[in-house]
Amino acid sequence: MYIYRLVFLLILGVYIFSPVIMDWWIAPGSAWYRPYIMWFLIIILAYWLERKRGPNEF
Amino acid sequence: MNFSAWQLLGLGGLYLSTLFTLAYLSERGLIPLRWVRHPAVYILSLGVYASAWAFYGSVGLAYEYGFGFLAFYLGICGAFLLAPVLLMPILRVAKSYQLSSIADLFTFRYRSQWAGTLSTLFMIISSLCLMALQFQAVMMSMNVLTGTDHHFWVGSVFCAMVILFTIFFGARGQSRVERHPSLMVGIALEGLLKIIIILVLGTIVAYKVFGGFGELNQWLADNAQRVSSLDRHLEDGPWRALLLIFFASALVMPHMFHMIFTENLNSQALFKASWGLPLYLLLISIPVPLFMWAGIKMSVPTEPDYFILGLGDRFEMPWFNAVAFLGGLTAASGLLIVSCLALASMALNHIILPVYQPLARRDIYRWLTLVRRLLITVILGSGYLFAVWLDGKLSLSILGVLAFSAGLQLLPGVLCVIYWPLGNRIGFIWGLVTGFTLWLVTLALPLILEIDILAWGIWPTDYRLNNNDWHYYVMISLTANICVFVGLSLFFKLTTEEERAAQACSVDTLMRPSRRELIATSSEEFKDFLSVPLGQTAADREVNHAIAQLQLHEVEFRPYALRRLRDQIEANLSGLLGPAIAQDIVQQYLQFKPASSVTPAQDIYFVETKLEDYHHRLSGLAGELDTLRRYHRQTLQNLPIASCSLGVDLEVLMWNQAMEQITGISAPQVIGSHISSIDAPWAELLFSFANGEERHVSKKRIDLEGRPHWFNLHKATIDSDAAGQVLMIEDYTETQLLEEELVHSERLASVGRLAAGVAHEIGNPVTGIACLAQNLRLMTKNEEVLLTADQILDQTQRVSKILQTLMRFSRSGNYSQPLQHTPTQLKRCVDEAIHLLSLSAADPQVSFINNVNSEIQVMGDGQRLVQVFVNLLSNARDASPAEGAHVWIKASIEDYTTRIEVIDEGSGIPGDQLDHLFEPFFTTKDPDKGTGLGLALVYSIIEEHYGHIRVESPADPDTGRGTRVIMQVPGAAIDKSPQTQEQTES
Repeated sequence: MYIYRLVFLLILGVYIFSPVIMDWWIAPGSAWYRPYIMWFLIIILAYWLERKRGPNEF
Repeated sequence: MNFSAWQLLGLGGLYLSTLFTLAYLSERGLIPLRWVRHPAVYILSLGVYASAWAFYGSVGLAYEYGFGFLAFYLGICGAFLLAPVLLMPILRVAKSYQLSSIADLFTFRYRSQWAGTLSTLFMIISSLCLMALQFQAVMMSMNVLTGTDHHFWVGSVFCAMVILFTIFFGARGQSRVERHPSLMVGIALEGLLKIIIILVLGTIVAYKVFGGFGELNQWLADNAQRVSSLDRHLEDGPWRALLLIFFASALVMPHMFHMIFTENLNSQALFKASWGLPLYLLLISIPVPLFMWAGIKMSVPTEPDYFILGLGDRFEMPWFNAVAFLGGLTAASGLLIVSCLALASMALNHIILPVYQPLARRDIYRWLTLVRRLLITVILGSGYLFAVWLDGKLSLSILGVLAFSAGLQLLPGVLCVIYWPLGNRIGFIWGLVTGFTLWLVTLALPLILEIDILAWGIWPTDYRLNNNDWHYYVMISLTANICVFVGLSLFFKLTTEEERAAQACSVDTLMRPSRRELIATSSEEFKDFLSVPLGQTAADREVNHAIAQLQLHEVEFRPYALRRLRDQIEANLSGLLGPAIAQDIVQQYLQFKPASSVTPAQDIYFVETKLEDYHHRLSGLAGELDTLRRYHRQTLQNLPIASCSLGVDLEVLMWNQAMEQITGISAPQVIGSHISSIDAPWAELLFSFANGEERHVSKKRIDLEGRPHWFNLHKATIDSDAAGQVLMIEDYTETQLLEEELVHSERLASVGRLAAGVAHEIGNPVTGIACLAQNLRLMTKNEEVLLTADQILDQTQRVSKILQTLMRFSRSGNYSQPLQHTPTQLKRCVDEAIHLLSLSAADPQVSFINNVNSEIQVMGDGQRLVQVFVNLLSNARDASPAEGAHVWIKASIEDYTTRIEVIDEGSGIPGDQLDHLFEPFFTTKDPDKGTGLGLALVYSIIEEHYGHIRVESPADPDTGRGTRVIMQVPGAAIDKSPQTQEQTES
């Protein structure tokens, strides 16, 4: 359960600061596709984590 | 260029027919199952999320909120990135208990039909908004392309087509579960088509409108003022509210729950979807700003929502518009089909069936199919009529916010299912009612009916509900919902049923069912009991199906198996009739016996089986403990002493390998059975011992396969929560036989000592009698007296002979004369015995054939071996027919022993006498011919030589005659030295 509490805390943190994060992503003057690049990096991270998972691990 | 409504409908019909064909091929098995089960198909089918709103509404949202439109995609991506901790536990519960909708999940977890019914009602209301959004998007896009205003009949035809296809996909035949691989294939095709269309159109726009991506950047730089919306600072409130409602949509919206959990064929695919769906949504969202900028640049005269439909006319590519329309149509129809299927199932299980159950009176499967079809028609028809009634009054984004924010009210309930075992039904229901009422009052009524209750003057405020503050109302309704839920859950205690369900759903606990006995004692009785509510056919089908799923015996009697069968039947009926009805049927018709005063113990074996299944999920301390448990378990399993453990109700919980070997009953066969129901004779032995007072029982005799066996039994009480007892069984048979043999040997020895005493005591008087008889012969001439004297002498000689035999027998067990263990030539011993016998006058014409190789030597005493052969050969001679009979003596070397055989052609020995041949004074000869000590003597001598003797009769199975005596004595090395040979012969 401990791990889940940490995950909850992290989700809450990301959620509360999500407008700030998005503002950073779409900072004026940056390329229009910058949010997509950030988004893509997160997908690569998720892909890497999924690959690291054992076949029977939940 | 304008299209006609017929052309557009024809295009829609063509697309739906393609979908139909593909689904049909899939159902016929023409599409390989590994393709259907491939994670890519699952991910593409999840693309149903990107409905008509993603196609049209996103462009409008981007026009209004800039990058805020990404909340629609990023919200659900967040839920999928957390799939292992958020979606996977729900998938596990949904699959284990056949829960096909969010309402099923609530009914199962909160053990209340009201929880399911209310959530179904609220989701129908929420989904009506979402379906109206889809119909509105299709109808508006038709209006844009045809250039005419709203056609009621065109929309009706489209609605009818969708109804037909939905019935085809999900409400045909007697499907047991809500899973339709053909639907998944169809929706995956829709997802694929949608993304291809949107990417192709995006690329065309980038090059056709802007001249390439480099030029696009230049144009953006040059027209910063015109396209400033994407540079705007995000408003925190709407962003957070949007992010939350779209995050929740993955869990609560009926169409998403259906595709993620109910249609899931392969749980591993969900892990792939954790990055697959975000990637899909990333690709599908990239062209959205391009369409918006192209619309601005080309000054497309439509609403921003439908910019994409006006672009084709601007660069004179009418097919562009047709393809864009097709993309929107696929997106809308996909969501309509899946939503409607899911809602029909929810409405059936949680609104219709609780009120009316046709059970047992007709074919239940057929009735369910018919009602489901009717519900599909009613729900889709209502969605369409709602869209017609709205008449475009609300924008796509407002309709979307209304739908998804209503769904958000279910989020606390879902999270509680997996993470908060203390949440109860009272908290959930009242929290939901509070949240939904606030949603209705602050969002639905003001937006749809323009009713503002604040204007009624009940509250002293000048504030009026308005469109711009919708995010506040969403957050207020959700907060009120959570507060009521948590408050009431903490105030009221959980019922036992709820507690069990909470444990079953919770991520970090294992369901630990107690072991209680059912009234039904066999699976056949299950069928009888269930035939009352279900009818005989359905009852037979359900019970047989559950037995096959659990891989149990065809007819099951074990209490453990019957409890599992009951759980499985409840899960299966839950898939068919919803969890509440299934629970009612099982509780009413498959009852447990009233609980006894003894608290029922936990089902240890079940817990252990589950732990084995969850083995890979345990990590850290739990993993270490599990490794320790497995080690102890294995120790018990491999213990060389047979042991088993029983619960307080004498149900077998553990049965180790040694126990399997001794009893010949395998563990899977016996575990979960009552100890009295296992195979005889173990049932009686173990049952009486487990019930008895004694903790140790020695030398308990039972007969196995007609042969006696002896066992020592021990038991100990287990002092723990799972009270019971452990039994140990020790096989004492070998020791018992050894003991008996020892007694036998002792008896032989005492007979020997007696014989020696008797021989000594009788010897002297007999010698005296013989002397007197000799004297008598010398002293008289009387013929009659002489004859009597001769007879006395004959009789005394016979007595002397018996006495000599007795003396020889007694000496055989007498270790005062140590046995000579020297290499002895076997052939010589046999020859000597034959020679001695040939001196006997009573020798009938029997030929002794000595086939023993002169090189074979045995370790032993030559004289005693001669004695052995004299006895064996004389017995063989006596048993042989009078004339021309043969007796063979053979020997062969086997490893370190020499096998000697003496075979005759006599009449053989009856089978029942074979076991007694070596007992003293046992004889098959006439009373005056044998003493019954010969073979006993032979046996003793062979034993002294560390050998073994046995008798086979008949020797020749064909004729049924003859006897074969087989001896095995330790051999000496083959002597090949000629000198030794000579010495032996001399």
